[in-house]
Amino acid sequence: MTDVNAARLGTRTDAGDPGVGRGPRRVPAAATSAPAPPTGPRAVGSRRRPRWTEQRVAPYLLVLPAILIVVLLRIVPLVMGANYSFTGDGDANGVWVGLDNYRTLYHDEVFQIAIKNVGLLLLALPVAVAIPGLLATFLFLKVPGYRFYRSVYFFPVVLSPVIIGAIFNVVLSFGGPANQLLARLGLEPRDWLGNSSYAMFTVIGVHIWATFGMALVIFMAGFATVDQSLLDAARSDGANLWQTVWHVIIPELSQTIQFVFVTTMIGMLTGMFGLLYIMTGGGPGGATYLPELYIWIQQGQMNRPALASAASMVLFVLMLVVGFAQLRLLKRATKET
Amino acid sequence: MGTRGFSRWVLAIPMALLAVATLYPLLFTLNVSQKTRREYILDRFGLTDTFGVSNFVDAWNTSGLGTYALNSVIVTTGSVILLLLFGSMAGFAFSQLHFHGSKAAFLLILGALLVPFQVVMVPFFRVLGQIGLLDTHAGLILAYTAQFLPFTVFLMTSYYSRIPGEIIGAGRVDGASTFGIYLRLMLPLGRPALLSVGILNALFCWNDVLISLLTMQSADHRTLMVGVTALRGQYSDNIPLFASGVVMAALPVLVVYLFFQKQITDGVTAGSTKG
Repeated sequence: MTDVNAARLGTRTDAGDPGVGRGPRRVPAAATSAPAPPTGPRAVGSRRRPRWTEQRVAPYLLVLPAILIVVLLRIVPLVMGANYSFTGDGDANGVWVGLDNYRTLYHDEVFQIAIKNVGLLLLALPVAVAIPGLLATFLFLKVPGYRFYRSVYFFPVVLSPVIIGAIFNVVLSFGGPANQLLARLGLEPRDWLGNSSYAMFTVIGVHIWATFGMALVIFMAGFATVDQSLLDAARSDGANLWQTVWHVIIPELSQTIQFVFVTTMIGMLTGMFGLLYIMTGGGPGGATYLPELYIWIQQGQMNRPALASAASMVLFVLMLVVGFAQLRLLKRATKET
Repeated sequence: MGTRGFSRWVLAIPMALLAVATLYPLLFTLNVSQKTRREYILDRFGLTDTFGVSNFVDAWNTSGLGTYALNSVIVTTGSVILLLLFGSMAGFAFSQLHFHGSKAAFLLILGALLVPFQVVMVPFFRVLGQIGLLDTHAGLILAYTAQFLPFTVFLMTSYYSRIPGEIIGAGRVDGASTFGIYLRLMLPLGRPALLSVGILNALFCWNDVLISLLTMQSADHRTLMVGVTALRGQYSDNIPLFASGVVMAALPVLVVYLFFQKQITDGVTAGSTKG
């Protein structure tokens, strides 16, 4: 998984209230009559304090490492990055240049391709959701051997994008199996990763191949929550398979379907670096750039961290758009319950 | 459901084709990894007749795979330990303890899910350099912990919130401190979730390439996945050795998958449905 890949699997949130504050009532402290002592980390371990001070301070100490890490290594860098994006590179390092970096991005052909490719990802999104949705329906109908199929389909999800990319470097090579299959069908061989007009489609195809198992198991978890009595009712009303899917299963699974849309999109935006890095390196002619690769190249290869920061902010805005869709789901989910 | 007998078998056909499409590239690579260079040039597709480990040994000895694998083991182990520790501590507090600002802190951590590493890469790199952790195992462990902590906290919180509050109440009556309850009750009770989240995080760290590529710059600090990308250039004229390296790098993941498939799928679906 992901680097998701890592990020591939790692960028998910729940569609339900995880139960903050649903904990137990605190056992009434014995010493409530005592005047409130000054609180703070100082109080920990001091023997003179009444017992309930530990109870009051402990939760803060328990969440402190997580909060510190998130604030220092995510929130602060985010603010710093936003700030860098308005400064210059090279000689202008640290100098305020306003929107210059964003203007450069706007006119940079490679970045334009990266954004255009995000558009391709959006177009591929319905396919990437429909394939596992259909398969999950089949598996739900208990196609013979469904346990085996689920295990097989999910396996590429746990492989690193680097491994997947390396495998497909060999599979898609000029005399490799993909072209052999075309030859069997009487078609011309293709330069899958070397032709700028379809190299990006090839990479997206490999990404979908590698990740559809993820959406599949999410769909299957959703199917497990479908109300069996609705299915029984549909059957006694004489509904056929497709009527059952259309009128019962899809409405029942609407939340799961939306969840899959969001996680699949996040996976496409942040989980394809490994594939691009090993399969195409952005080529041919920049045809397979995505924002995440652009950021890495500008930072790591071109030594233009400020420009890279501006591209980061663009990616962040894209993430926010997806995130707001997710927030809307969260809200709707909590209203439904 | 109303599909039985014949139609179920008809559905099985596309399923089987897709299973072949999923397995074939993997098996093809495995087959290639067994061929000699000459065999590969003459016939890529035929089943190898030189089955053995000689390519693996060659690839292992002529690339730095051993060093890379050791680096991966170190950073993965370190990151998973920190993630489980901090994740379970925070998950316990968020789900079972009342404290001021709990909701805001939880939302802050969830919000970090929307800040992928790519977005903070440049400043992160600078900060790591300034505190002298660039190109060190500790720096990469810190990077992974920051990357996967929001997800870990979230899953641990949702798991612990299903534990009835009476258990903590009983612990309090027995005179246990909050930290005592964490150590003696919450950690043992959380074992299934810790296993699932731990395996997922181990896979995330093991499989990452972007963060490791950015932070580990010297060749002998490379992790295994970055090492695989380096193999490509090294063995560009010897594809079977390249394939051997890839197979070896994927092998630990295959073993983990065979043993822990249920924990992995439980972990990735934990957030997707209510309740």
